[in-house]
Amino acid sequence: MKLSGFKYLTNQGVENIWKNKMMAFATFCVLLISLLLVGIAGLFYLNLNSMILGLGNQNEIAVYLDPSLSQQDVDSFADKLSSLDNVDTIEYISKEEAYERMKNQISDGRAIFDYIDGYEFMPDGFSVTVINNDTIEDTTAKISALTGVKSASSSLQVAEFLRELRRVVTIIAVAIIAALVLVSMIMISNTTKASVFARREEIQIMKYVGATNSFIRFPFFIEGMVTGFFAGAGSFFITWAVYRAVYRILTEQGTLMNAFGYSSIIPFKDIRLPLAGAYLLAGALLGAVGSVVSTKRHIDV
Amino acid sequence: MVELQNVSVTYSSGVDALNNVSLKINDGDFAFVVGSSGAGKSTMIKLLLKEIDATSGVVTVNGYNLNKLKKRKIPEFRRTLGFVFQDFRLIPSMTVYENIAFVLRVIDAPIKYIRKRVPYVISLVGLHAKTNSYPDELSGGEKQRVAIARALVNDPQLIIADEPTGNIDPELSYEIVELLKGINDQGTTILMVTHEHDLVRHFGGRIINITDGEIVFDEVISGIGDEPLPEEDLAAAMARAGMTGQIQVPQQPEIQTPGIVTSTEDALIDEVIAAIAGIDQGGSE
Repeated sequence: MKLSGFKYLTNQGVENIWKNKMMAFATFCVLLISLLLVGIAGLFYLNLNSMILGLGNQNEIAVYLDPSLSQQDVDSFADKLSSLDNVDTIEYISKEEAYERMKNQISDGRAIFDYIDGYEFMPDGFSVTVINNDTIEDTTAKISALTGVKSASSSLQVAEFLRELRRVVTIIAVAIIAALVLVSMIMISNTTKASVFARREEIQIMKYVGATNSFIRFPFFIEGMVTGFFAGAGSFFITWAVYRAVYRILTEQGTLMNAFGYSSIIPFKDIRLPLAGAYLLAGALLGAVGSVVSTKRHIDV
Repeated sequence: MVELQNVSVTYSSGVDALNNVSLKINDGDFAFVVGSSGAGKSTMIKLLLKEIDATSGVVTVNGYNLNKLKKRKIPEFRRTLGFVFQDFRLIPSMTVYENIAFVLRVIDAPIKYIRKRVPYVISLVGLHAKTNSYPDELSGGEKQRVAIARALVNDPQLIIADEPTGNIDPELSYEIVELLKGINDQGTTILMVTHEHDLVRHFGGRIINITDGEIVFDEVISGIGDEPLPEEDLAAAMARAGMTGQIQVPQQPEIQTPGIVTSTEDALIDEVIAAIAGIDQGGSE
């Protein structure tokens, strides 16, 4: 095909949107709704996942050091601990602090401390949070293997529970998103079919004058792609507005946010570019493919 | 050239639409195909357009053996044809110019050629003033002239006209056939399916009558406009062709082409013939 032919067909595709504006608008709306359904479901899942990870980050490894270690050994141990993979934060808990914490935890039996002389018997320790709670067990084992560690323990039940929760949430989310994608495909397919059906005679005329299938389909491809692109852009801006509003409400709800940690809700700026890319690409692709596939029935004359 | 050799078409419903039909239309012929509804005319047109395949027999059009023609070659084959349909089949979202230019776009013709050729063909059919009109803004006769211009623009070897006068006023029918005759005079083969016996009687020429899927008459007879046959010979020929009724000589219609041409039918025909001669010269540029 010559460049002039390519330009002509591209222009035809764009002009067809205006010429068939009602059907183009219907396609735009269906694509917009479909993209929004899938996009918002996807974002909901991402945030839920992030919240569960946030909960996991609050799971700690309690590390107790050998009481015989000198202060210098304890300081160098902190460096070793920090350099381990998957270690997020470390907090030093001195003998004295550990003693105080224990006294507070055993508030009913405080009398027992009257028989204990000083806190020197308590070990120095660290409270360690991890980046990935799923591998907390491995990290705990690695810490245990370090020289000078008397014991290192973490709540494996919590880790296991959160891992299971994420698995279930992922399965449910994937099922919901897959169902939404399927419903969207059916909606898009029916709308583009209706759009193409309204122009079946036009397609037949093109066939009679010797147009090849690709010549006929190309303007439909462009038309679907441009409509889908705008639907993607529309979905992005709607999502942006909704997301920011919800984010603001949640951040103002201190209690809820404290429970998961502020960082658990993904700020829009962190997902803005990939989300825009995904919306525009999915919109353009769905629009283009939907239109081209729908011409098939009418093109065989 | 069109050639059907022992062609039969049986639809999946079991209906025999064509039954062992043989026919040859040579280059430059003008043939009327007549017959009652359901006789097999539409089936024959579909065969020639490669819309359907023959159940048996061989169909050859413009050198293409349609029995062996691969699907991907159909567009190439159809570019050697021009079509004129009863319902015009213009693309409603395109102007007169765009409807005609579209045929040249399909074959990737150079823009310069399209810009020269399309206005020229539009002027041939007397629609220069309607170049930028949409089909909805045209009368039936004007739409059919656009359809003829579209069929003509690609300089096809064969034009198939399926009831081209079926949706227009009777007086304009003569104008349309005259246009087709003018095109035929320049060497393009024309196959015209029609129900209108008066037209056939008027113009004469080769008449093919299909009845119940068979060709029952295929002869050349003189038209009223030609050197007249003795009345009894004409009546006998018409009766053999299956066309009965009073022979009426139509009034010569006044052709109204707003803004450009106000002339009689004869003048328009002369104009078309002269213009087509010009195209041939222009085509060799």
